Amino acid sequence: MTDIKQTDMEEITIATDVLVIGGGLAGVRAAAEIAGLGYKVTLAEKSAALGGPQQSPGALFGLSAEEQKTVADTIQAVSAHARVDVLTQTRVTAFAGVSGDFTVTLATSGDVVRQQKVGAVVVAADFTIQPLNAAYGLSLSDGVVSQSQLDALLADKAAKARLGGKVVAFLVGFGQEGNPLVMKRVMKSVVALAAIEGCTVYVYVNNIKVAADSLEKLYMEGRGKGAIYFKLTEAPHVSPDGKAITYRDLVVRQDVELNPDLIVVEEALVADAENRQVAELLRIDQDAWNFLQSDNVHRFPIQTNREGVFVLGASRGIQDLPAVWTDAENTAMAVKGFLGNGTKRVPKGKAVVDNGKCTFCLTCYRCCPHGAIYWVAESNKAVISPVACQTCGICASECPMDAIQIGGFSDTELKAEFLGNLAGGDPRIVAFCCQNSAFEAGQMAAQFKMTLPAGLQMVKVPCAGKVDLDYILTALAEGADGVLVLTCHEGNCKSERGNTYASWRVEDAQRMLVEAGYEKDRLRFATLASNMGKEFSTLLMDMEARIKELGLSPLKN
Amino acid sequence: MSADHKKVMVIGGGIAGLTAAWELSKCDVAVDLVEKSDHLGGHAIQYCCKATEECRQCGACSVEKMLKNVVEAPNITVHCGVEVGRVVRNGGFEVGLQASSAAAPAAAPGCDQRYESNPLACAAAHKFSKNNAALDCGRAPADLTVDAIILASGFAPFDATRKPTYNYGKLPNVVTGLELERGVRASGRVLRPSDGQAPAKVAFIQCVGSRDERLGNLWCSHVCCPYALRVSELMKHHNPEIDITVFYMDIQNTGNNFPAFYEKCKQDLQFVRNIPVDVYPMEDDRLRMRYTTESDGTPVDAEFDMVVLSIGIMPGLDNQQIATLLGIGLDADGFFQSAESFNRTATANNGIFLAGTVGGPKTIAASMAHAGQAAYEAMKYLGGAE
Repeated sequence: MTDIKQTDMEEITIATDVLVIGGGLAGVRAAAEIAGLGYKVTLAEKSAALGGPQQSPGALFGLSAEEQKTVADTIQAVSAHARVDVLTQTRVTAFAGVSGDFTVTLATSGDVVRQQKVGAVVVAADFTIQPLNAAYGLSLSDGVVSQSQLDALLADKAAKARLGGKVVAFLVGFGQEGNPLVMKRVMKSVVALAAIEGCTVYVYVNNIKVAADSLEKLYMEGRGKGAIYFKLTEAPHVSPDGKAITYRDLVVRQDVELNPDLIVVEEALVADAENRQVAELLRIDQDAWNFLQSDNVHRFPIQTNREGVFVLGASRGIQDLPAVWTDAENTAMAVKGFLGNGTKRVPKGKAVVDNGKCTFCLTCYRCCPHGAIYWVAESNKAVISPVACQTCGICASECPMDAIQIGGFSDTELKAEFLGNLAGGDPRIVAFCCQNSAFEAGQMAAQFKMTLPAGLQMVKVPCAGKVDLDYILTALAEGADGVLVLTCHEGNCKSERGNTYASWRVEDAQRMLVEAGYEKDRLRFATLASNMGKEFSTLLMDMEARIKELGLSPLKN
Repeated sequence: MSADHKKVMVIGGGIAGLTAAWELSKCDVAVDLVEKSDHLGGHAIQYCCKATEECRQCGACSVEKMLKNVVEAPNITVHCGVEVGRVVRNGGFEVGLQASSAAAPAAAPGCDQRYESNPLACAAAHKFSKNNAALDCGRAPADLTVDAIILASGFAPFDATRKPTYNYGKLPNVVTGLELERGVRASGRVLRPSDGQAPAKVAFIQCVGSRDERLGNLWCSHVCCPYALRVSELMKHHNPEIDITVFYMDIQNTGNNFPAFYEKCKQDLQFVRNIPVDVYPMEDDRLRMRYTTESDGTPVDAEFDMVVLSIGIMPGLDNQQIATLLGIGLDADGFFQSAESFNRTATANNGIFLAGTVGGPKTIAASMAHAGQAAYEAMKYLGGAE
């Protein structure tokens, strides 16, 4: 949260029911924990049953009989929970409202079953399994099977017995980079195969992904049982019929051919293809890999760009079950933190729209990274939800009518801060600093007694997206010799795009400076992190040196 | 449901301990945070930002943010420079604290005047973070009465002198990954320890101490590939001419974006799938290593300005002592054993929970998630849920 100065608080009543989308293990676990905290939960699963699309989580995650029972008990407990309403074959077809006051429409096979108010939404998507035989030029057949097909063979006693005396070869890490869960599936079955009398196991593998609990030991166990791993950086040559695998052995420096009875090709575990629709419906950001969370450290572990919308498990990455359990409990904690007892105390005037100025252009609605702005049809005015708003101020700077003010960071307050301090040592450098990054770095530099310009004036802004073109020009016009706009690194903005907006405004202002005959270098845009005190010092000293070369501002009065 | 008026002791003020404390504090549970050193943030507060033109999601800035949260939280009491000496189960827990031997003296000459005279020493003198400034580690340790305990005492970085052929500690330009990051954090760039100059040719040796059968360390440390690749890319960003070689067994992922990031690394860095055995001294404090190429097995004799040992995550040095104090067990590797297969925060002693690398290697992100889970479990234990 930002440190808004207001002492005036207001109480807002929010809905406390929770919608969990997705009844796989992650959704089931989250629903159980959230219901355990006393909230009413609707658990919507698109398929006919809970537990996820994987028919045998036991094989998929390599579970023991006892662990499989824990999973089954968890599903059973949720189905029987008095505060959990389980709806199978159900999808979310419409979603409206703001954090704490969402209206969701749920439909079973296209029929609207209900419309419901919820305060928070949890998305627990499942991952999809994709066989990668095509990457090796292979078709699945009796002699070429996918990892899932092998899992099925190993689960069938008779089929498993028929693998005795056979040569089995795995291909993994050449059709994809892979991850520890992919690797664990391979290693588990390698250990099982190596235990079959007369079964010989070869694994052609690129990078062995062992960065997970106990995986190195599992790898060693398979090797200890006689499995042979060929570690290659390029895929071996595989004949299209799957009868021969050839690779260049670098120790003996010759091609080595193997004729396996069975080839097992790796499978990729990827984000659910339907995530895109879910993201659009809920207005949450995605990463480049179709997961439901932007690749941004501020979202650790289960947050999204919208307050009250949480994502866990395969919604945000490929994870093993202990991590799913971890996510589910973090989600329950976050839901409790957000909903509380249904009454939220928020600062009055966190972000205010001046109805007299608002022309209902909806620029703010479109640029808000937190989905915090809506409108009231009767009045045709934009409204900012104090529950959903994170006070970045992007809307205030983008509003063409200057109709929005951010509490504690109003135009008047901010201008007074930097204008009031423009007298003093030369050259005067005004640095607009995002409070999440550059301002922290600047304070670190000052406290550690790093070298800083004598005429530096740091101006704390809630997000660089709050830096209005007008601030930059006013600072220069009123006596600053140089101005910096210092933001978070790309991909690290708490409001996702505040740094991008700031960089655009700096470019605009630089163009205006050049057109008016002033030096472009009087204005600079840079990115920093909160722990970059030394870089802050270096950057500011560079700026001072450049301004000294240029001389004091010709605009100085 | 209420965990109000309950108190939790968090042992360890690294990223896991900070996160657990902060999550509990948000639920109105009072926290006593016990840290044996003179600063909060543990190892992770010493890591540098690895952003190039974009953030690389290493999480180092999350530690800074969490540290700020904790020192500003009114219901978290920080006890630094102390360690747990006695724990008696008595419904809750009676805890005796004692002065810690690990609290380093904070004196660094010259830092009052000019940081630039010795950035490394000054950064340490300032306890690595501006948010540690207000910590008062000189107070006499008090006894505590708490209702639950979260153990977040972290890990020990691998002691690179245990691999003597790398000559760590003898050759100035053989450094650990932790020292490399500390240097960037303090100076803003990578410098050769021997002469303070920017290196032109650097080698990273992966898996130093990890995945090492001879040492009996049969685990991957999760973090070394990510930090080595991210710092390599940072060095490349600072100086596109720099020549970096990564000696490795298997490259581990950084996150969802790894396939794209790895492609970039493959363009910028040289990868050699071979772990060299020896580092020899050369003139001008340069270093020589021998390895064979993967493509045709040719032996190569290469010189480097600097060799970085990607040291891994080892069990805490006092784990056995803590295990005895708390009545919980260690696993075969010396990390703390979790009592359940899915909930890895649970211990055999109800009311005591694990958070972060005490249970095994974790990234910053994974430690934070695990610590959030530990806080939640503690809250449930205290009566915050059914």
